[in-house]
Amino acid sequence: MSTTPETLPPLARRSDAAYLDFVEGLREFILGKGADFEERLNSALEQTSASRGRPWGDVEEIREFVHSLPIGRLRDRLARSQQEMKWHAIERSFDEQRTQLTAELAKWDERGPGRLLLDPTFEHPAYTNVHFHLQPGGYYKDELSGFLYHYGTKVFFRGDNDKDELHAKLVGTVPAPTDGKVHRILDLACSIGQSSTAFRRRYPEAEVWGIDHSAPMLRVAHRRAAMQGDAVNFAQRLVEKTGFPDAHFDITFAFILFHELPLRIIHDTVREAARVTRRGGIFAIYDFTGTEGKSPYQRYHRWFDARHNGEPYSQDFCDCRLGDILTANGFEVAAAPLAKRAGGTGYMQHWFATRV
Amino acid sequence: MSDRVQTPEGGTPIVGDDPVYLNDPIQDATVRMLLELAAQVWVERERRLTLEALLEKKGIVAHDEIERHTPDTVLAARLKDERARFLEDVFKELRRVPLNQ
Repeated sequence: MSTTPETLPPLARRSDAAYLDFVEGLREFILGKGADFEERLNSALEQTSASRGRPWGDVEEIREFVHSLPIGRLRDRLARSQQEMKWHAIERSFDEQRTQLTAELAKWDERGPGRLLLDPTFEHPAYTNVHFHLQPGGYYKDELSGFLYHYGTKVFFRGDNDKDELHAKLVGTVPAPTDGKVHRILDLACSIGQSSTAFRRRYPEAEVWGIDHSAPMLRVAHRRAAMQGDAVNFAQRLVEKTGFPDAHFDITFAFILFHELPLRIIHDTVREAARVTRRGGIFAIYDFTGTEGKSPYQRYHRWFDARHNGEPYSQDFCDCRLGDILTANGFEVAAAPLAKRAGGTGYMQHWFATRV
Repeated sequence: MSDRVQTPEGGTPIVGDDPVYLNDPIQDATVRMLLELAAQVWVERERRLTLEALLEKKGIVAHDEIERHTPDTVLAARLKDERARFLEDVFKELRRVPLNQ
């Protein structure tokens, strides 16, 4: 029997959990084979393209066509609503427990085995003030943002990541440096620290740091790690300005970070990763696949996600050729797409970059 | 409640709080209410099935007793509160219909 402590606080009511269970199923139905919007809309797009005798041009042309179809507009309505319903239920349920949950976070702030380093003078750059995935208040404006994010991702992963299984799997796939030396690991934009703790378990002797701009996220990350006995240090820092010494880390890691950064900060962050990763060290990245080779529907979905699901930077990221940016900053890159996920659109890939 | 103002740097302009996807805001509100109703139906069904399973397991209440039961004042007040919450969940969408399209 598993002895892993439950780190996600319970919802206020059984009915909240049932409501979110419904939303989880609704999301899968809308975005997957249940409603079959993807195949039906993509078929219409491809048939129209064939009858016109030319491929689709820019995404605006695709958008106009999708929005000319009642099914396209209905699909958008449903996709937006399921996300709004999720946050409505989570926010209300945790809001009812705000006093207890705030006290719970405070209880763990000073406990070990790892350290929590918050910066009382920290100022959030304007670009971080985005309500990604429509999360109320975004990542840092609510003291309970970390708990909101944790439950939100639980629904997103449909229960497949309740014990950080996905993070353990992805961290387990990261290649070690060829010399085998792993003494220090940096998890960039660690959010609630699920990858950070997975790294510590994979390399129990290594010093693991998780950094993020969001204090509410880091407090939940620290609480989770402390509850599980994982000695990970969490610090409030910017990914583009980490404050660590040159060549300090053997592995630097970024899980679904770059599509939530403006292009300017993407370049700055790769430059910073090149600075703090030692020669022969690994910079491992998991993020969205690029625009190239995408179906017309997938291109539409990327635009929709950017504009209607609080992902303003994702389109620019998907168009930016991250591999080229890594190479230009002193990395040798191996990249490959991840297997298609049921209910999704094969949207993730990895870049395993070696510092040369 | 959280600050609603966002300050993204470039990228794809994000849509406002209550985008209209269908032919008019009333249609959007209708779909939102339909989804909320479906959610509430599931919430109730999940609870009823759980309760009935527990009651049956413990041999406490037969199904007929539930059908015939009359709420006392405490339960009646609680049901009223729950009804208000239910109505808020489903029909809060009406507040999002703009005055002018």
